[in-house]
Amino acid sequence: MDNLTNLPNADGFFGDYGGKFVPETLMYALKELDETYSKLKNDPKFIEEIDQDLVHFVGRPSPLYFAKRLTDHYSGPQIWLKREDLNHTGAHKINNTVGQILLAKAMGKKRIIAETGAGQHGVATATVAARLGLECHIYMGAADVERQSLNVYRIKLLGAKVHAVDSGTATLKDALNEAMRDWVTNIEDTYYIIGSVTGPHPYPMIVRDFNAIVGRELKVQSMELFSQYPDAILACVGGGSNAMGIFYPFLEESNVQLIGVEAAGSGLMSGKHAAPLNDGEPGILHGAKSYLMQDKNGQVVDTHSISAGLDYPGVGPEHSNLKDSGRADYIAVDDNEVLESFHMVTKLEGIMPALETAHAFAALEQVAKNFSSSQHIVINVSGRGDKDINTVATMDGMSLD
Amino acid sequence: MECLLTRLDEKILSLKKRSKKALVAYLVAGDPDLDSTIELMHGFVDSGVDIIELGVPFTDPIAEGPVIQAAHDRALKNNTSLGKIFSLVKKFREKNHDTPVILMGYMNTFLANAKALKESYFLGTDAVLIVDIPGESNLEDFGINKENLASISLIAPTTSKDRIAKICDSSSGFIYYVTLRGVTGSSHLDINEAEKNIDYISSQTSLPIFAGFGIKTTDDAVNLSKISDGIVIGSSLVQMIHEQSESREYKKIYDYLIEMSEAIS
Repeated sequence: MDNLTNLPNADGFFGDYGGKFVPETLMYALKELDETYSKLKNDPKFIEEIDQDLVHFVGRPSPLYFAKRLTDHYSGPQIWLKREDLNHTGAHKINNTVGQILLAKAMGKKRIIAETGAGQHGVATATVAARLGLECHIYMGAADVERQSLNVYRIKLLGAKVHAVDSGTATLKDALNEAMRDWVTNIEDTYYIIGSVTGPHPYPMIVRDFNAIVGRELKVQSMELFSQYPDAILACVGGGSNAMGIFYPFLEESNVQLIGVEAAGSGLMSGKHAAPLNDGEPGILHGAKSYLMQDKNGQVVDTHSISAGLDYPGVGPEHSNLKDSGRADYIAVDDNEVLESFHMVTKLEGIMPALETAHAFAALEQVAKNFSSSQHIVINVSGRGDKDINTVATMDGMSLD
Repeated sequence: MECLLTRLDEKILSLKKRSKKALVAYLVAGDPDLDSTIELMHGFVDSGVDIIELGVPFTDPIAEGPVIQAAHDRALKNNTSLGKIFSLVKKFREKNHDTPVILMGYMNTFLANAKALKESYFLGTDAVLIVDIPGESNLEDFGINKENLASISLIAPTTSKDRIAKICDSSSGFIYYVTLRGVTGSSHLDINEAEKNIDYISSQTSLPIFAGFGIKTTDDAVNLSKISDGIVIGSSLVQMIHEQSESREYKKIYDYLIEMSEAIS
């Protein structure tokens, strides 16, 4: 197998996937970003600045926590939780935004834009923009504005402007379209903080690198706590940034099984889901070639997931390459399994996971039986679930009004 | 090596001989419906349009402003596929043999129809303009064998000089200069910047350079035509087509094009 850690190549490809499929106006900005990042990523001062922020602003390292009652419940492997939900702003998304805002600063950009689905990336972006006093605009599908109203309000409190996007399916992909259009129009003074390992090169690489702190910490913590690397790592995959961040430092550790969990929505057979790696074909969307939910004419199809953060027809190109190379496995769980798991984890562990994260927990039903009690599984708890209580209440037939 | 002139080459030669600036008109195939698209294409030609750009609808057209986005959505609601657009061009050719037709769209739609695209030249399509692929790339590297089709590339105000040369090298037909930073139909037209950039591009290529994005009035058209080899009109036409989609009465649009055509000649 090729060395997966050295990807992408200079053109931004992970095997067949990735690239820069964007309108011409953006090519210059991508090159500028690529050059800035290449220069800064090995600059000790830049690294030190990020490390300081990760410790004192984000609250890292996040704990690796033994989930005793969940382990007892499955009576299989020992289940450990990498607690990204304990980060400032409540999810892994802040790891990326603290890094990218420093790139924006280094490039002298005065205006920050971002897309968001569940709102976690919107909050994480508005947070770092507020801290540096930069103007901030968050694009969010109108349907997501509705189902993630708590985060919308948080973003507004942080001083950013939320633009509800009505076009297309009014979800994450349309928010991305609109953010790209803003960027094309305001290219000179605007920095676009993409929130996942998606989009044109160099974004999938940059977002992965900033999230890889999670995997690096896990390497150290797992050795300290159980004297070996995990036997398997489970993470949910929408665009795939939390998964890529925890997988990446383990790509060359072939004994560590990497399992990504996609959103099967109403079920893979129903067609109403958001699982391109399980049931999509390679295609091009939002600047990169990757697995994509599309029809035979190359039109992107509507997706469905209970979780706004996974409700996206594409996936980061590096995941597509990991799938084809066989290095990672990608499975899917449906909305009902997710809801059941959300309740179970909340009651058993006193930890309320985000609905996105609950996908990784729900996968234990399929995965746990393959491991023995001497083995160790780590779940990346990508975010906390407070933002989802309205959705969960509605699904349970309750109203919080 | 190439001995036969394509329809696009012939059109460009003929414009050059007559020292005429090209009028390129864009419309979205299937908006309001495919029959209207054919009618409009013939009407465009009768109103002085030299080259037709046929927009191929896509669910996620990131380079388009709200007017053309909405047209893409309407065309998709009518199930307009690239296959149907190839048939439409074939039908257009029953009555028109010399107006080049360029398919303008997004990479994923062309990829999904790569096989049919290869044959489409023989049905009367002349060129492709793929909005979301770097202009210097070789389409074949991404699985698109365009055979005889010309490949039109965009150059933007932000395109670096080293890339301009590369893009010109891998393009055929003409160069499409994007006059502004923005999506289609925006209004930040900067004539001085456009002139400087078009001058530079013409020092790098013998291909004609057409300017587009953001042309609304005859003044815009006249000013841009003075510094380029032709102009492209899109959003304003798409908007008018939509406004007339109930009555299907397109005379107003043809009058607008005649006015534009006369203004730049």
